[in-house]
Amino acid sequence: MNKDSNRSADWEALMRAANRGDGAAYARLLREIAPVVRGIVRARGARLGAEGCEDVVQDVLLAVHLKRHTWREDAPVRPWLYAVTRHKVVDAFRARGQRVELPVEHLAEVLPAPEGPDPLVARDMEKVIGRLDPRAAEIVRAIGLDGESVAETGARLQMTEGAVRVALHRALKRIARLRERMIE
Amino acid sequence: MRTEDLIAALSADTTPGPRPERRLALGLVPALLLALAALFAFWGPREALAAALTGTTVAKTLVPLALGAAALWLAAELCRPEAQPKALRVALAALGAAAAAVFAMALWRYGSAALAIEMGRSSLWTCLQSVPALSLLPLAAALWALRSGAPARPARAGAVAGLAAGGFGAAIYSLYCDQDAVLFYLPAYAAGIGLVALTGALLGARLLRW
Repeated sequence: MNKDSNRSADWEALMRAANRGDGAAYARLLREIAPVVRGIVRARGARLGAEGCEDVVQDVLLAVHLKRHTWREDAPVRPWLYAVTRHKVVDAFRARGQRVELPVEHLAEVLPAPEGPDPLVARDMEKVIGRLDPRAAEIVRAIGLDGESVAETGARLQMTEGAVRVALHRALKRIARLRERMIE
Repeated sequence: MRTEDLIAALSADTTPGPRPERRLALGLVPALLLALAALFAFWGPREALAAALTGTTVAKTLVPLALGAAALWLAAELCRPEAQPKALRVALAALGAAAAAVFAMALWRYGSAALAIEMGRSSLWTCLQSVPALSLLPLAAALWALRSGAPARPARAGAVAGLAAGGFGAAIYSLYCDQDAVLFYLPAYAAGIGLVALTGALLGARLLRW
């Protein structure tokens, strides 16, 4: 319990740093959040298979990203994260023709998924990126898949860093919207 | 795409999203001013507006205004996915119960025949059209603001946004309306506000999904 509350305190600090534009803190936070979300999704969605589960995990991470400003800095991160997770998981299962009962008070008890040896691949994201306009798709791929920095991508595509950031932000919003449409 | 790759892309995007509270202030203030201007331009103020606003009939303006403010506050709270604003819900319910109690007392005092006369007035139709019309811009502004939020139940958040817009719309309409009988304005305004709340719920179910 003590260990848990310590880790939770870290999340608030990381989230605050993330909201001030600290990308490294934000990446660390997302990496810590992902196994927790994965544990919840897998506990409920064994029938989806590993890839299907990872699709839902990525849905949740996208929602965390695009809605992170709705977290209030004086509130704990976990209840907020569980609410976002619950919302997206219920949505995702409904879209796949399954009803899922997910009382939010039980989410804290689900264990994080153990680190697997295999990289976790999801299917839906590739389809969605393929439907972005080519420039936006290239930026998402360069920064996500190829691990380029914003500055490197900008230099290669002859764009300013600011323009790359704006394009990336728009692309991520569009990805979330496209995925929602896939669900409908 | 691996989740690790997605995280790399997400963490490179340091553009913060728009805060719903900020958008509420940004959108609602001009929307309400425009609605107020529209009332004076197209409806016109009632006779002896100053006298009406200093007497007991000011309740006709203040009660919807209070409802609008409480609902607005609740709407801002509902933008957080984990929100469970019990106190606010109780406050809204208490406001509704108080209005119902005042209505019941008036009904008991004047009888249902008086209610029938009041409801037969052509002002009823004016009210049922005007309150939603004046609430339209504020509702649009509120829904726009709430789109940047993450309400756990979009339809409910939309209904609360409609309640806020309807409350403000009715308060503005009261500056024109010269029907001061409780048996008229309580049910008429409630119906007008209810229509806006229903519209908000229907729109919210679609527009506030995330």
